[in-house]
Amino acid sequence: MSDSAATTVPTGFGPDASEAQPPALAIAGLTVSYHDQPVLRDITLNIAPRQLVAVIGPNGAGKSTLLKAVLKLIPVDSGHVLIFGRPINEARLKVAYVPQTETVDWDFPITAGEVVMMGRFPRLGLLRRPSREDRRIVAECLEMVSMTPFAKRHIRQLSGGQQQRIFIARALAQQAEILLLDEPFVGVDARTEEAIFKLMDDLSARGKTLVVVIHDLSQLKRFDSVVMLNRHLVAAGPVSSTVDDENLRRTYGGRLTLLERAEQEISRGPHT
Amino acid sequence: MIDSLPIAAIERAEDIVTWMDRLLWIGDHRLPLVVSTLIGATLGLVGCFVVLRRMALLGDALSHAVLPGVVIAFLIINSAVGTLSGGAGVWGLFGGALLAGLITSLGINLVARHSRAKEDAAIGIVFTAMFGLGVILIGRLPKGTHFDLACFLFGEPLAIGRDDLITACIISPLVIGAIVLFYRPLKLLSFDPQMAAASGVPVLFVHYLLMGLLAATVVAALRSVGVIMSVAMLITPAAIAYQLTNRLVIMLVISAAAGAVSAAVGMVLAFLFNVPPGPAMVLVATGLFAMSMVLAPEYGLLAKALRRRRIRRHILEEDVLKSLTHLPPGADLPAIQGLVGRHVGHEQINATLAGLAADGLVLREAGRSTLSEAGRKRAEQLVRAHRLWETYLAEHNVPEDMLHEVAERLEHAHDLSEELADELGHPEVDPHGEPIPAPVAPGSQQSES
Repeated sequence: MSDSAATTVPTGFGPDASEAQPPALAIAGLTVSYHDQPVLRDITLNIAPRQLVAVIGPNGAGKSTLLKAVLKLIPVDSGHVLIFGRPINEARLKVAYVPQTETVDWDFPITAGEVVMMGRFPRLGLLRRPSREDRRIVAECLEMVSMTPFAKRHIRQLSGGQQQRIFIARALAQQAEILLLDEPFVGVDARTEEAIFKLMDDLSARGKTLVVVIHDLSQLKRFDSVVMLNRHLVAAGPVSSTVDDENLRRTYGGRLTLLERAEQEISRGPHT
Repeated sequence: MIDSLPIAAIERAEDIVTWMDRLLWIGDHRLPLVVSTLIGATLGLVGCFVVLRRMALLGDALSHAVLPGVVIAFLIINSAVGTLSGGAGVWGLFGGALLAGLITSLGINLVARHSRAKEDAAIGIVFTAMFGLGVILIGRLPKGTHFDLACFLFGEPLAIGRDDLITACIISPLVIGAIVLFYRPLKLLSFDPQMAAASGVPVLFVHYLLMGLLAATVVAALRSVGVIMSVAMLITPAAIAYQLTNRLVIMLVISAAAGAVSAAVGMVLAFLFNVPPGPAMVLVATGLFAMSMVLAPEYGLLAKALRRRRIRRHILEEDVLKSLTHLPPGADLPAIQGLVGRHVGHEQINATLAGLAADGLVLREAGRSTLSEAGRKRAEQLVRAHRLWETYLAEHNVPEDMLHEVAERLEHAHDLSEELADELGHPEVDPHGEPIPAPVAPGSQQSES
């Protein structure tokens, strides 16, 4: 089973995505539906460690859903996901997730520093209190995103870019190997965008794997690889050889494919 | 000194002392006060998480839905032991209620997940079903037993006895202890359930822990405030605390205090004026909430109004200052008004000018105003901000006919000027070709007033 799966994976990429080391993220036959509508269909994808990967696609293409399905935050119809060769439930400490800022409750009574400290909670378990070491890591992560002076501010009192940086700092504090970032450049000014890119380059140089949902295709040049998504996987691979007119058209272009229409038809059942 | 006080006041004071004495130290009334205060604090504490997780309706539901559990427990205990007083009675009722509470929250989850009904509708379906079941069970109780529904709904504080004190003294520390112990997971789950789930925190366990704490507290509160009022004592103190602070720890402390104070004061008022205690507590809490709505330092209506007024005054000051740069020295009021806008009255401009003169930015003589050297520098920075913003907006494809209007508003954010200039690459002219004044030399910048 695993043998045949490995040979039929058409979209492995990254340097040396080989037998020696399991992929950071291996997705096989992943299908997700909302209310009987397939949102992601049969996604098969390997991401090698140390890659800086962009996920692109039109609105409703399932980009956020892909990240959430990897983390099993939503029910999955079929398929499986392996993190460094292990199922997600055994590897949760290895993955950190940065949600879209619009899903955050900005009125919650919490300071920027406290949000970053939350990155340590998974390692603390249910009962342990943060140690001096945890506090040191939090201070370090705040420093990495240049947010130390704002640690005591309430999260509502931060600018959009600062809010984004705080959630990235929280992911850093999780000391995960894989970071999944859902649209980290929304509501961010040019300077913060540059700062976030530098941080991502730095993390990737330190061996982390980053999967980033983006909207602005001009940012693609900053990434190693790309995942082009439109409910199904259009293409995946190195940015330079994957992003071409044909693939862009198939990702963003036009209407539903016949296959998708057929699938909708089927899920709706026979006409009455 | 005491001699000079009116007799009536002394009598009144004596009255109150007597009342307090009776409340606090005479057996009958001491217990209700102590029990209610303890319960009030506990409800306030649990309520914080209920409010932050937007589960107020769920709190309401759980408190009503414990009814069938209480009735069934009542039935069993009554036939087995024959009396409801004593440990078996209290803990039996408690166990029944807790079980019903957990069944309800499981049922709500089930309905929400497996039907099209969203969570709020699921809550409405399940808790009314449980309540209805309870009411029917009351009607089917064997002859000779009497279950007082009104007492369940509204509490019966005067009947509070040693058993209730013991219950409260066990439940409250347990609930408070659990919240202290599980503070971090509760906080994470309330703030960001997705991250909690993604990072492997046992979300379901923490959720049902909170539900259990909620059910336990509501049950412990049955006798003193009753089901309906317990919801208010859950939500209102937390809402008061939410108005007052940006820190969860402090919110918990304030909420517990507000709950305790509302309960204690409500109980005292109930005895003094002979009104039912539960409603009195709720009204005290509501009064405190109204005060917090108006007076809270950051989120209160008063603070917001003052802040708006300060900003308006600041903007007007800057507008007047800028208008003077366009006018020859010794400008009069109508000229200034002509530039600032007709919607601003003469008195307002006059008051603004007086303020500017006091700050040394404007020189006034016989109703005529001239910019001082400091005022001219300050106005120049406003012009700089305005023109930088126009440049920025033009670069971001804002239509030309809107540039001025938008920049007019944005120029008051002149603290951002230098950041703006950095991003724009220090332009020397704006989109209309007007020169952009140089920044203030570092060091010469005057402090904001």
